[in-house]
Amino acid sequence: MINNHPTADMLTEYSTGALSLAPVISITTHLQFCDRCRESVASLNALGGALLGECEAAPISQQLLADTLDRLDAEPANVFEVEEPEQPFLDPKLEDQLPAYLHKFVGRKPLHWQSLSSSVSVAPISVGESNYELALHRLNAGGRTPAHDHKGMELTVVLKGSFSDENGMYHEGDFLIRRPGDVHRPAATQNQACICLSVLEAPIKLTGLKSVLNPFMKFNPS
Amino acid sequence: MTPSKTVKGSMSDQNGPNWNDLLVRVGSHQDKAAFGALFSHFAPLLKGFLLKGGGLDPEHAEELVQETMIKVWRKAPTYAPAQAAASTWMYTIARNTRIDWLRKHSKRDQQTDELVAEELFDENETSSPFTALIQTRNAGHIKTHLRELPQEQLQVLTLMYFQGKSGQEVADELNIPLGTVKSRVRLALQKLKLKLSPNGEDSNVVFAQ
Repeated sequence: MINNHPTADMLTEYSTGALSLAPVISITTHLQFCDRCRESVASLNALGGALLGECEAAPISQQLLADTLDRLDAEPANVFEVEEPEQPFLDPKLEDQLPAYLHKFVGRKPLHWQSLSSSVSVAPISVGESNYELALHRLNAGGRTPAHDHKGMELTVVLKGSFSDENGMYHEGDFLIRRPGDVHRPAATQNQACICLSVLEAPIKLTGLKSVLNPFMKFNPS
Repeated sequence: MTPSKTVKGSMSDQNGPNWNDLLVRVGSHQDKAAFGALFSHFAPLLKGFLLKGGGLDPEHAEELVQETMIKVWRKAPTYAPAQAAASTWMYTIARNTRIDWLRKHSKRDQQTDELVAEELFDENETSSPFTALIQTRNAGHIKTHLRELPQEQLQVLTLMYFQGKSGQEVADELNIPLGTVKSRVRLALQKLKLKLSPNGEDSNVVFAQ
């Protein structure tokens, strides 16, 4: 049972195409787990379709259809059966723990896991996004992250395992929104490591530690 | 609810051709006549949609219309009429084409490499029969109530859907508070009887592109 979802506003901006790359990826990842939000998005898309259907038609050049058909003739048949691109850098052990949707992003370039503490590591995922940092976080079984607060928005999708913080317990598919000023101290459950996808908007700083030691938090768009 | 009636009335134009069926034919038979019929109907709508979005001159708009229709041809075999009406499916393709075009032509995100919007959104998901039923019902509600929306709600929806503007950008453009934009969207969705996941706790989440 998934208890934490993107807001209706976020889903709307997702459907209308207003969101940046990394937030889009985090929401599509949540949709891999959540039928309810997938239905919401389908409804919002249907509204887009209706607005398209009702919109004022603009006359098009007469030869546009002929041009388009010419271009289609130049296409090989069955182009839709494109081969899945290879994912040369996808670690097979990690592959099993991620929804298939994420493979193409995670497998594009080598992942560099950095230890943030004895129990937490992070690997940035490069998607050509300049406003947000997209990353995988791994919390070892029973591990705790240092308490930290957020200067910018952070979105987290639990991919595997579960973790908890002061506010509750989060399971696979849960979508968490941390706002600037939120302070929390997540901990993984005892028997299983937890892997999350995160989207980070701006640096976050540790509370009670020198910022130099702050693990997550170098904002490093990639 | 009378499902059979709703299906017919909502997913296709009662008096016109059935666009869903034509799209299926394009996918299953590479039927160029069916494609031509879809093109004649949707290309002018797509152009109107893109022009209304602003930022495009008519020539570029036609370029994007063509690109969208070529993708429609290529992707038609993956089209599932139970999941979405033809217009909805085309809307997502047009939206993705616009996103890619804007990213290619913006100063920011220059390093953006081969990722395209289609890969980010991943529309090709299967849905349950239950989802299909909900979609059919939604399409009926939208069709019935869209024309009844107050102008101010329609305006906000138009800016968001046609121009891809965020709530904040719409607020700036109309010179109204973000909360007003959000409540207009919410009222419109209520009027159209579209139920979104109830987690819609209001917040100042802003994700500008």
